[in-house]
Amino acid sequence: MILVEGLTKVFRRPRTFSGPFGALRTLVTRQHEETTAVDDVSFGIDEGEVIGYLGPNGAGKSTTIKILTGILTPTSGTVEVNGLVPWRDRSANARNVGVVFGQRSQLWWDLPLIESLRLVGSLYDVPAPRFETSLKKLRDLLGLDAFLDTPVRQLSLGQRMRGDLAAAVLYEPPLLYLDEPTVGLDVLAKEAVREFIVETNRLGRTTVVLTTHDLADVEALCKRIILIDHGRVLFDGAIDALVNQPRRLVVLLESEPEEVRGVPRDAEGRYVFEIHDDLPGMIASIAAEHAIRDMSIQEPDLESVIKGIYTR
Amino acid sequence: MTRIGFRLALAYRSNIIMTCVALVAQVFLLRMIWTSVYGSRPAAAGLTLDALLAYLTLANLQAFVTHTIVSRIIHDRIRTGMVFFDLARPVGYLRQMAGFQAGNTLGGLLLLAPVIPVVLLVGSITVPVNGAGYVITLVLGYVIAVQLALLISLIGFWTMEIGAVSLLYRLVSQFFAGTMVPLAFFPGFLGVVAEILPFKYMGYVPAAVYVGHISDISGPVVVELAWIAGLWGLLVLTWSRAHRRVVIQGG
Repeated sequence: MILVEGLTKVFRRPRTFSGPFGALRTLVTRQHEETTAVDDVSFGIDEGEVIGYLGPNGAGKSTTIKILTGILTPTSGTVEVNGLVPWRDRSANARNVGVVFGQRSQLWWDLPLIESLRLVGSLYDVPAPRFETSLKKLRDLLGLDAFLDTPVRQLSLGQRMRGDLAAAVLYEPPLLYLDEPTVGLDVLAKEAVREFIVETNRLGRTTVVLTTHDLADVEALCKRIILIDHGRVLFDGAIDALVNQPRRLVVLLESEPEEVRGVPRDAEGRYVFEIHDDLPGMIASIAAEHAIRDMSIQEPDLESVIKGIYTR
Repeated sequence: MTRIGFRLALAYRSNIIMTCVALVAQVFLLRMIWTSVYGSRPAAAGLTLDALLAYLTLANLQAFVTHTIVSRIIHDRIRTGMVFFDLARPVGYLRQMAGFQAGNTLGGLLLLAPVIPVVLLVGSITVPVNGAGYVITLVLGYVIAVQLALLISLIGFWTMEIGAVSLLYRLVSQFFAGTMVPLAFFPGFLGVVAEILPFKYMGYVPAAVYVGHISDISGPVVVELAWIAGLWGLLVLTWSRAHRRVVIQGG
């Protein structure tokens, strides 16, 4: 469905100056600053997959999505989305993808929600009967009826997000980019968004690329994640493989030797052991040599694993 | 997009109704001033007082109709990053924006409809001398107005801030359209400038056709068509540059 190889995007902007005549110097300067937003990124996504595309703020996630939608051209590398090169076949590619940005809305602020949906229907040439069936389905699935005729500015964030989701899938694109679709939502609204993603993926075999900072979204929806930071891919694979690591025993000792049984003391004065089989035996043997002040067992979870990868 | 523009015009109706009030007031004031200026003189620069008043009323009505909000919308959407969605559509950007403006003008006209008789009464307008010619020159002038507005808006892709430019553009275009003073009264150099600029097709030319000051419309229509063709080319060129900038710089 999506094939990305050696994707690189370098932004070249005039250097900005500070100081009394900074703005003027910025205007006339010939000096440029280059920032590499995406650096040699490669991945493939199959039809029907739900991928978590994760990374800290400024990692290059949005730039990648803008390239995949055909709005940006890359500096180098090849991209194929559903058999098309997004920035060359921009118009055809646009019909294949739906986009939701949690931080922005494509809905017209001062008009009733239904008007924005009609606009989407006409911009994507959805014939009237198909529009009606599609809208009917979405009204049930997202509970739009209560606010279909309300101006968007009067909607709650949760309602607005449901409206944005409806606008993104109205023309039934085979591919959906969701950029933080649950940002700022309460628990119930988040749940509704997740259920909708699951349903859309299941019913329409829609491929979903999900960007989020809420790892609960990822755990609920994705089997596979791609982690990027500073424009580079840090991890690409199944969540299970990532989380399926040994539990850990964390020990604090009265005396603080440099190392215990080959494990060095960490910055917080703790000793972290990987638990493989015999936990009681392990504790007993440590207790035999040292006075234990405190200890705990850490289950591997996505958040700490990802934090570990970012800080590596 | 046309529908959205139309609905937005209706959504902001209080705004437009206020403009209607201002329109009636302006026509009334202009009438008072010019009546006093003319005094007992029968005509100036080939225009009788009645023709002049009719002309000014029409020119102001037209200024209202050809007023475009598309630059404001484009500017807002660039500033807030909403332009992303416009660019992600399968339909061309300029087409979307032109459609929006057309719908907005239609919505404005619908709200204006009940006010027109009042304006015509205040401005003491008679039947058009050349009705068909009036509509033709006005519609072409409107196309020019939208093209110019789009062209100005595209500056926003480079500078991010076009508030002052739009304001200046509006002042200059209204002045040279002859909304306050008919172009026939412009002295020497100013008259030449006004003659060359395209703004007269939004105000002066159609209104002058209406009151019979211009009788043969073939000349103006040819020049209008030439402007439309030229501006079309310029728009396409400017847009391709603006688009390339977005594509490479990320806007």
